Amino acid sequence: MSRSGEMIEQYVSIERGEVGREIFSDDDIFEQEMERIFGRAWLFLCHETQIPESGDFFESVMGRDNVLVVRQKDGSIKALLNTCTHRGNAVCRAEEGNAKSFMCTYHGWTFTIDGRLLGVPGAKTFYDDSLDKASLGLREVAQLAVYKGFVFATHDATAPPLEEYLGATGRLGIDLLAMRGNIAVIPGIQKFVIDCNWKFAVDNLLDWYHPQVTHASAFAPGVMPSRGHLREALDAIDMEGITTEGGDDLDLTVGGIVGTKFDQMVVLGEYGHVIGGPSTASRGNSEFPDPTWRERPEVIEALGPVGIQAAGHPNIFPTAWITTTWQLSLRIPRSATTTEIWWFSFYDRDATPEVRQMQVMFANHVFGPAGLLEQEDGENWAQATMQTFGEASRRVPQNLTMGLGRGKVIKEGGLARIETQTNEHGQLWTYHAWSQWMKGLAWDDLKTATEPGDVL
Amino acid sequence: MTTTDLTTERPLDRTERMLRQFDVEQFYYDEAALLDAHRYEEWIDLFSDDTHYFVPIRRTRSKRELDKEFTQPGEMAFLDENKTLLAGRALKLATGRSWAEDPPSRTRHIITNIRVTDDDGTELTVESNFLLYRTRLKSEESTWVGSRRDVLRRLGDSFLIAKRTVFLEQTVILSRNLSNFF
Repeated sequence: MSRSGEMIEQYVSIERGEVGREIFSDDDIFEQEMERIFGRAWLFLCHETQIPESGDFFESVMGRDNVLVVRQKDGSIKALLNTCTHRGNAVCRAEEGNAKSFMCTYHGWTFTIDGRLLGVPGAKTFYDDSLDKASLGLREVAQLAVYKGFVFATHDATAPPLEEYLGATGRLGIDLLAMRGNIAVIPGIQKFVIDCNWKFAVDNLLDWYHPQVTHASAFAPGVMPSRGHLREALDAIDMEGITTEGGDDLDLTVGGIVGTKFDQMVVLGEYGHVIGGPSTASRGNSEFPDPTWRERPEVIEALGPVGIQAAGHPNIFPTAWITTTWQLSLRIPRSATTTEIWWFSFYDRDATPEVRQMQVMFANHVFGPAGLLEQEDGENWAQATMQTFGEASRRVPQNLTMGLGRGKVIKEGGLARIETQTNEHGQLWTYHAWSQWMKGLAWDDLKTATEPGDVL
Repeated sequence: MTTTDLTTERPLDRTERMLRQFDVEQFYYDEAALLDAHRYEEWIDLFSDDTHYFVPIRRTRSKRELDKEFTQPGEMAFLDENKTLLAGRALKLATGRSWAEDPPSRTRHIITNIRVTDDDGTELTVESNFLLYRTRLKSEESTWVGSRRDVLRRLGDSFLIAKRTVFLEQTVILSRNLSNFF
C-alpha cells in the first residue's frame, strides 16, 4: 500500500534531525521507492570506456530492470531492456562482453545490437509473415545521456535533461573525478551483497564522523599508507567516556582519521545531490596520485572558485557515490533489506605504468568486500537494518542532529554550501530529498521542494 | 607433469610421489588450522617474501569469451597482496578494533582434491579445491567454494607459498565482506 505525502512527511524531520526507522525495512516503502525514485531518476549505468568497440556491452541495473548498455556501430550508446519482446526471457545472460547480435535462447528471436528485431524462427511458416517486426524491437530506456563519459539513463520520458537534473552540484560531483585526467575504468567491477537497506549505504558516504571508530583498525600503523599529517587532529576530539566492552579507553592514537574534526564543506543540491566532507584547506596537499591536479587551467575553469575547494564525497541522487580514490560506487537496492554494492575503479590512461599500478593497488585495498575500510561498513549497516525489525526498536528515531540548526547556507556561484566542521547535514539533506521524491511530486515541484533554504 | 628427480634425472617413483603428496597435504592442513584458529601472524610466515596472493574477479561471460572470465594481475581484484600488504591485514586483525572480526567469525577451511601438477625440484605447482564455511553473530552464514593454484617453494621438509591464485566460484560475492582468507 503506498504511503500518502502526509505519511511520508512524518518519517523525516529536518527540524528535529530525525528519521523514522520504518523506512529501512518496510516492503511497501521499498515498492514505492522503486516506482517514485528508481522509476524516475537519472541513474548511472556505466562509463563509456567500459564499452569502447561496436557491440561491446555491459549489463547494468535501473531499479529492478536489467539494462544492456551497448556501443553502436556509429559510436553512440544505447540502453536496451534485457527482456525479449516475445515471452520475456533475457536476451543476454553475460555480465559484459562483445556481441554481434542478441539471440533469445527461448525461441530464437534475434535482435541487432541497436535493438531491432532481425529474425524470428518461422516468421513465414508459423506467423504467416504477419508479425510486425518493426514494433517488436527491444525496448529502450526513456532517455539516455552521457556526461563527461559517465552514462546515465532514466525510465521517465518527462524527466529534465541530464545536465539539468545533475545541476551545478551533481556536475561538480562528477567533475571531481572526470577532470582528474584521461580517466578509464580498470577492468573488473567488484560486486557484493550486503544485507542492509540501501539508504544506510548511501547516508554513510556522507558520514565523516564514523571513520575514526568504525575504521580504527584500518588506520593502525602499517595497515594502510601513512596518514601521519592527519594525526594531530585526533588530539582535538574529546573521547571522554568512550570505552570498549573490556573497559579500555578506545585509544585513537593507534590510528589516523580521515576528515573528522577537519574543516568541512557540505554542498547541497537540488533533487538531493550532495557533496560532503573536508575542504581542500583541511585535506592538505594529499590527493593521490597527483596533488597538483586542481592547479590545471581546465580544472580551475570546470570546478569554479567554490567547487575547487570540495574534497569530500559527492552522491548523485539516489545511489552513485564518487570517491576521492578515483572510484564510483553504486548502492543498488535489491530488496528492502538487501543491497548490492558495485565498484567502478578508474585510472589515468596518460599516467606512467608505475602510477597506474599504484592506482590499481590503492583501488584494490580501500573499498570492496575485502577493502580495509569497507569490511567493517557492512557490519554497521546490516545490524542497523536488522534492529528496525523490532517493534520497539523501530520506534526509536534515527538521530541526525550534529550541527543541526547551525548550518548557514551560503549561496554563491550556483552552489549552496555550508562551511562547518564534522556534521550530519549531508545525510539529513539526503533524507529530506528522499521524502520529497517519495511524495511523487511533478518535476518542477520536486525541484522547488529540494532547493536548499538558508539554514539546515 | 614433471616428476623427475633432478639429481638423478629419473622420474620419481610411486613412493616418492606419495611422500611428496603427504608433505603437501600436511602443509595445507596445518595452514587451514592456523586460519581457523585466527593465528594470522603465523599464517603470514608461510608466505615467501616475494609472494603474490591474488583473488581475481570472476565474471559471467559467454562460452566463446570464457578466456576473459577472470581479471588478470594489473586489473581489479578482490585481494591483490604482496607480503607487506598481507602483513598489514594481519596487523589490522590484531588491533582489537577490527569489528568485522570482533566478535570473531567461526570458520572451517576444508581443503581437498590436492594435485601436484608441476615440480621442478625447487618449486611445485599445486592445485587444490576448498570450501570455506563461515558463521558470524546469530544468523550470518557464508559459504565460499573455489580452487587455488599455488606455487610452493621447498624449504627443508616444508614449503613457502611463493604464489597463490584463488578462483572463487561466485561472481557477485554473496556476503557482506571478505574478512577471511582462502
